[in-house]
Amino acid sequence: MIVGPSGAGKTTLLRSIAGLEDLDRGSISLGGKRIDALPAHRRGCAVVFQEPRLLDHLDLLDNVAISLVAQRTPRKERRSRARELIEEVGLGEFAGGGVKGLSGGEQQRAALARALCAEPELLLLDEPLSAVDPNRRSSLMDLILQLQEDRGVTTVSVTHDRAEAAEMGQVIALLIAGTILQSDDPESMFRRPQTERTARFFGLNLIHGMVKDGHLAFEGSEIAVEGPDGEVTLSIRPEAVVIGDGGQVEMTAIEAVYLGTHVRVILKGEQSVLEAHVQAEVSPAVGSKVGVSLPEPQLWRIPAG
Amino acid sequence: MRNSGRMSGALRTTVVLAFSLPFLVLVLQAFADSWTAPSLIPQEFGLRGFRDGFAGGGAGVALTRSLLVAFVVTAVSLLLAWPAARVIGERRLRHPGPVVLLLAVPILISPFAIGTGMTGWFVRLGLTDSVAGLVLAHIVFSLPYAVLVLSTGFSRRLRLSEEMASSMGIGPWRRLLMVTLPETRPTLALAALMAFLVSWGQYGSSLAISGGSPTLPVVLLPFIGSDFEVAAALSLLFLVPAVLALAAANRAGRVR
Amino acid sequence: MKQPAWRNAAMLAPAVTATVLLFGGALAGAVDQSFTPPLGGGLDSWSLDNWRSVFGDPVFGDALVFTLLTTAMATVLAALLALVIASLMRRGSSAARTAAAFPVPVPHMIVAVVAVLWLAPGGLADRVLGSLPINLVRDQAGLGIVLVYLFKETPFLVLLLLAVMGRRLDEQNEMAAVHGMGRWARLRWVIWPAVRVPLGIGSIIVTAFVFSAFEVPLAVGPNYPPTIGTYALEVTQTDAISGAGEAAAALLVGAAASIAFAVGILALASRQRRSDA
Repeated sequence: MIVGPSGAGKTTLLRSIAGLEDLDRGSISLGGKRIDALPAHRRGCAVVFQEPRLLDHLDLLDNVAISLVAQRTPRKERRSRARELIEEVGLGEFAGGGVKGLSGGEQQRAALARALCAEPELLLLDEPLSAVDPNRRSSLMDLILQLQEDRGVTTVSVTHDRAEAAEMGQVIALLIAGTILQSDDPESMFRRPQTERTARFFGLNLIHGMVKDGHLAFEGSEIAVEGPDGEVTLSIRPEAVVIGDGGQVEMTAIEAVYLGTHVRVILKGEQSVLEAHVQAEVSPAVGSKVGVSLPEPQLWRIPAG
Repeated sequence: MRNSGRMSGALRTTVVLAFSLPFLVLVLQAFADSWTAPSLIPQEFGLRGFRDGFAGGGAGVALTRSLLVAFVVTAVSLLLAWPAARVIGERRLRHPGPVVLLLAVPILISPFAIGTGMTGWFVRLGLTDSVAGLVLAHIVFSLPYAVLVLSTGFSRRLRLSEEMASSMGIGPWRRLLMVTLPETRPTLALAALMAFLVSWGQYGSSLAISGGSPTLPVVLLPFIGSDFEVAAALSLLFLVPAVLALAAANRAGRVR
Repeated sequence: MKQPAWRNAAMLAPAVTATVLLFGGALAGAVDQSFTPPLGGGLDSWSLDNWRSVFGDPVFGDALVFTLLTTAMATVLAALLALVIASLMRRGSSAARTAAAFPVPVPHMIVAVVAVLWLAPGGLADRVLGSLPINLVRDQAGLGIVLVYLFKETPFLVLLLLAVMGRRLDEQNEMAAVHGMGRWARLRWVIWPAVRVPLGIGSIIVTAFVFSAFEVPLAVGPNYPPTIGTYALEVTQTDAISGAGEAAAALLVGAAASIAFAVGILALASRQRRSDA
């Protein structure tokens, strides 16, 4: 799973692996074989693009079976194979028809079936959910995860959405400005970022300061920090920030936005600003002063680098 | 990779030159008083081609007649085509095929055949050798292009914009000026260009129905075999409105 | 959004009425003329004399064959050349595309003049190249006619092709490549289906025009054989009595051939669409 802001080079990376973009330098290997000299159609990588890219002049079955068309598989065989895949992605009822009447989500399911039909060594997904209406996203995401699990096909997927990355990825690589900053399992990415930029991309709060005798001054209180003294940056997830009486420090709530599943509260202190995600029941009124605690196990010291 | 890029660039240049450069000969020949082999440029420049072409006044009258006919044909074609293009472009018909085919089929038939078929009628109606007769004959060929091109400018999206305008209390005329015309401008310009050029370049139908009061191409043709300077001079004049119309349509068609 | 049927009909009426009256009237006029006896007779007398004399005339037979040959050559070569040039120009700048499309708005008559100035014996091409290896003006085989039509109609087809060779086609091509399609398979399954519609429609228009127009053959064509168009023109000009009727008959044969070709292309297209599906 590759995640990064737009313009980071995610799509370029994916296209280079697939053979749609020339390499300036470096090499690409798949299963121990160098593939960077092979043309796109011999690399064994199937891609699900941001757009479905279906061919209007073919019906749904032949669109899904396009890789079999390429291999000159007999018509009957390729269509029965395509029918199975169409059932698997939940488009069985459309099997006899064309592709023009399908909705965006249905077309993207067809594109997924088409990629699976190629039985690729490596499946590449380029923001496959971006063209799908938000209500259908989760079901398509579940479908992708399910199919991946059933078939055990290695998948590289790119997205700009960190939540999507966390939900879909076994390993997440953060790509910013053409460089992979960190590659880890999802939980580590959120809890133990290796650089400030990683932390910022995943929406973590950052606290800067100087550690003296194992303690860091914070809004008139102190936080215990492990490791050597000196300059330090700590990170903490917005969900881990606790608001309530008996907090370590006092801060002012300057913004509170109800987001359906939680309330996003922006807290302002003397030196710093924090974002907290809390349940609606404990959300403070805007402008009120509240107690804030940063539970010690949730704080992470970003390695100096 | 890079090498093949340079190669196709050179090929592209060749293609561009092959399709545009040959026209330069018209300019040279039109302003040449003497240009004989083997010289690659005229020995003597002058305006004999224009003088002889317009001697007797026939070419001048033909030029004005051609222009007048082309403008009227363009206006009438657009007016006739507009509502039909709207129905076709918005896909309002369940089976548009027959209507589209009927409106497009004149493109397939020889203008000389149409002109020949019209002469009988025009003799009875007293329209031979008249501007009205030329207009009627040319519309047969301009109208299909006007309908086909205009229809690509209408869509359900335009309809939604118009409904938005109506909902804001804008009346039908202001709506036409503020929403419909600006949104269809590129296709309208292209349709007008096509209608104009089809009429402007008409030869066969004009020859058949209006030999007595000819249009420019009818005057021009006999010179092709007999007098290169006159042929080139008249061709150059014949080319100017076409190029101007193209430039105007290009300007009008540019969105914003 | 739904419009009542009478309203659509009313909006179609102006264009449809004009077409039926003018085009239908002209066709009817031509048919009537072709059946009108050459030497007059009663108002409602008719005869097959014109048709008989046209089909009995060996010159008409030669003209028909010659016209079919030059039209077929011009259309097929223009279509092939347009495919090559379009795939070359799609990566070109818009200025280059515009310049390459220059012959499109130019009337055929002017193209004919340009052709004569270049290709006539002692013309510019002769002077630049020393001498032309073949004679292209008034040549028996009609190569000059074909060449002039290639020059005039290829850019028109290129324009139609470039309209469908946009980003969308690039995207579909990439899709096909990553699903295992090589260059030839992509040509067959992605590019050909995209270009065949504009190519077919463009070819129909080109064929119809080349088949019937006579500016170009009059300027650069041979003295013999004539094309259908020049044949019709000649009979009207040489035979004042029966000429109009015979010309109408000859032109109707030409019209029938154009329509037959168009129907053929459309039938082929719908069959291919079915065989793809």
